[in-house]
Amino acid sequence: MQLFERMGSFFEIVGSMVIDPMSLAVLFGSVLLGILFGAMPGLTSTLGVALLTALTYSMNTEMAMICLMSIYVGGTYGGSYASILINIPGTAASAATALDGYPLACKGEGGRAIGLTTTASTIGTIISMLFVVCISPIISKFALQFTSFEFFLLAFFGIIISGTLTAPDLVIKGWIAGFLGLFLACIGRDQLQFFPRFTFGIPELDSGIEVVPVLIGAFGIPQIIEVLRSKTAMAKAKELQKILPEIGTVLRNLPAIIRSSLIGVGIGAVPGIGEDIAGWVSYGTAKNTSKHPETFGKGEVQGVIASETANNACVGGAMIPLLNLGIPGSPPAAMLLGALMLHGVTPGPMITFEHPTFIMEIAAILLLASIAMWITGMMLAKQVVKVLRIPTELFMPIIGVLCIIGSYSLGLNIFNLYLMLPVGIICYFLTNMGYPIAPLVIGVILGPMADENLRRALMVSQGSFLPVFQRPVSLILFIIIVWTICSQFGWYKRGIGKLKDILGFKRANS
Amino acid sequence: MKRFALLSFVVFFAFATGALAEKPFPNRNITDVVVWSAGGGTDVCNRIVTAEMATILGTNINVINKTGGVAGSVGMSHAFGMPHDGYTLCGLSESNVTAGVQGGWDKKFDVWDAFIVGGSPDVISVTPDTPYKTLKDLIEAAKANPKSIKASASGAGSIHHLNLLAVENGSGAKFNFIPYKGSNDAQNAAMTGEVSVVVTSLAEQQQLLRGGKLRALGMLIPESFDVQDLGSIPSAFTAYPGLSKYLPISQAIGFAVPADTPADAKKVLVDAFNKAMATDKVKTWAKENYYLLSGKTGAESKKVFDALESNFAWTLWELGAATVNPETLKIAKP
Repeated sequence: MQLFERMGSFFEIVGSMVIDPMSLAVLFGSVLLGILFGAMPGLTSTLGVALLTALTYSMNTEMAMICLMSIYVGGTYGGSYASILINIPGTAASAATALDGYPLACKGEGGRAIGLTTTASTIGTIISMLFVVCISPIISKFALQFTSFEFFLLAFFGIIISGTLTAPDLVIKGWIAGFLGLFLACIGRDQLQFFPRFTFGIPELDSGIEVVPVLIGAFGIPQIIEVLRSKTAMAKAKELQKILPEIGTVLRNLPAIIRSSLIGVGIGAVPGIGEDIAGWVSYGTAKNTSKHPETFGKGEVQGVIASETANNACVGGAMIPLLNLGIPGSPPAAMLLGALMLHGVTPGPMITFEHPTFIMEIAAILLLASIAMWITGMMLAKQVVKVLRIPTELFMPIIGVLCIIGSYSLGLNIFNLYLMLPVGIICYFLTNMGYPIAPLVIGVILGPMADENLRRALMVSQGSFLPVFQRPVSLILFIIIVWTICSQFGWYKRGIGKLKDILGFKRANS
Repeated sequence: MKRFALLSFVVFFAFATGALAEKPFPNRNITDVVVWSAGGGTDVCNRIVTAEMATILGTNINVINKTGGVAGSVGMSHAFGMPHDGYTLCGLSESNVTAGVQGGWDKKFDVWDAFIVGGSPDVISVTPDTPYKTLKDLIEAAKANPKSIKASASGAGSIHHLNLLAVENGSGAKFNFIPYKGSNDAQNAAMTGEVSVVVTSLAEQQQLLRGGKLRALGMLIPESFDVQDLGSIPSAFTAYPGLSKYLPISQAIGFAVPADTPADAKKVLVDAFNKAMATDKVKTWAKENYYLLSGKTGAESKKVFDALESNFAWTLWELGAATVNPETLKIAKP
């Protein structure tokens, strides 16, 4: 009964927002701004929300939330443009999208890929919105199962899985790249006891390695060098591209979209981790469950759909612990928490008493923002693909400038440039040697989380590793990690084959 | 005709600038550079109070956020680099006193003249599944088994950590301190059951306290505090009078002008600040957000910040978290 009541008030709020021209203008403007933020390498949705927070001070709470949520949704989606078209992820969240998006664009199907991700992202956001409305209390409980040990294992899993998925020849190379990233993340003063590690007395290294310059350098610089050196044409734009995806393709991929959304909501709900891990885990699941995993990495539509749906579904997921517990589920959600405080709304267990309709309002905004995102995305896609018609000789220097601006704009710190260039050059050689770059970046992103939480977990358990096996969630994560690693080795596969023989499970065709 | 136009232009400007020069402070917009991000405690506090001051002064006060550096050093350096004429305020909080010893900049905090709006008092709480009903239960249990009870209080060297250390020093109990990145993470750890004791500010905890997810044992200030739906939280000092030697270590959120700002401009600002602090809007906001208003300026605020700076700087130095020896900045030992 209560569910119907909730739905009723939900549609009432949606209606009141749609008939207000001011809300609509803010909605579309913010979504567009968010997409641009996401598409520019270096500018992220976190930064977008942060910059706009101060501007919304004079607005009323509802308008401010429309503005900020739209930026968040748009920014998460916008990252896919740069990933697909130029192979430089616009945000860390869309790094997994580049794996299949760019090969698609090289085949001349960039427009189709963007059309599909737009639709998938929209469906992902809407599904996550349904979770916010219906079962957020249950998910909040699940999020509370995560303590330091679980966070460490999750971060470690994120690094391992991205290494496993992206290695072109040997899986061990992916893991090596991941651990290189983990090492880079160790640089700086450690978070718990302030001990300086590998800083060599350079004060700029005290606060650690920034993620954005590494992300831009690692993906951007090798791309520029490669294209300019080999003179190979980059992605091509075909004439007369069909942007609007065929209903058939969308329907065929609907189970994958729904599965990716569920992954996104679940990961979004876990505090502290966000869109980036969601994209990887979803991509990995899609590849592992696919009937033809060998097509992944060569322009598989399902791969693009998987990562983009999940990172957008993460938005709704991240709102669940934020609204119900006052715990932000992802970095942009942490910025949203600040914005809410600015408007005198303190999210937490009491929010349903103090602001009874607030959760519904957020859900309504999510729904409208995802629709606005679809409309804007469809209109933009056609124009954005034209970027590829710019001659390479002109385009790559522009990308180079964007890389520099993107790295510098973060805190206006010139040191970021000294960081970006060497990282880029090292990554160029690593790429040539067949080491994937994505795990390195994921290592830098998740490294502090793994490091800090492992050490904190050991402080809490007073040096014992036993809790890993005593806590249900950490035990499951541990088993998944062991399985992910073991399944890459020949002896494991042979062993499993023999086991199946013995148990009589051997199928005729295997 | 052309010459006349030019002449009248010149005359107009001469008058206009003359008029500007004669008008007392403030005759143009004031900028408040907040060194922490939008939506944080310092930001919200500054926006509320400067909005009231703006109507009293009859001018605009633009609040901008300039974050980054070490302990807000980017924003402080920026505000300090502007002319010292009272037109640039620097929105800051007690945490900024560590910028010197952490190598953010090379100045002592007394280059500022601070206007303290106030802060939310710290409260010590436990998770509801623990057997500790009063502060005495908790302290006695911690004394019986030192370092067995896990406590969180934001990061090492944060104001909440200093409060926890003060509780330990004043009562003789020893906790197993687990550092987290911020108050939010520290409270979250209590929700997941990783720690059982939390020391953060009342503003940060109020939702969890009122929702029954945490049990408040004592306020770390000399007075008790009334919280809606909960009733009165007693002061920790009642059970342990020894605490008064180390506490309170309170948040001091507000703004500052360089200490060498002309006295007349400072006086105008102090008057406007005092009037703004007395308005109903500021008072209601403070009550709703569990802030204690201070209103200290001049010599009084200098005393508060000197004590904070010495406490923070030496605690960080002892933790090994400071890069610059407080002695080189001539910061006295607490």
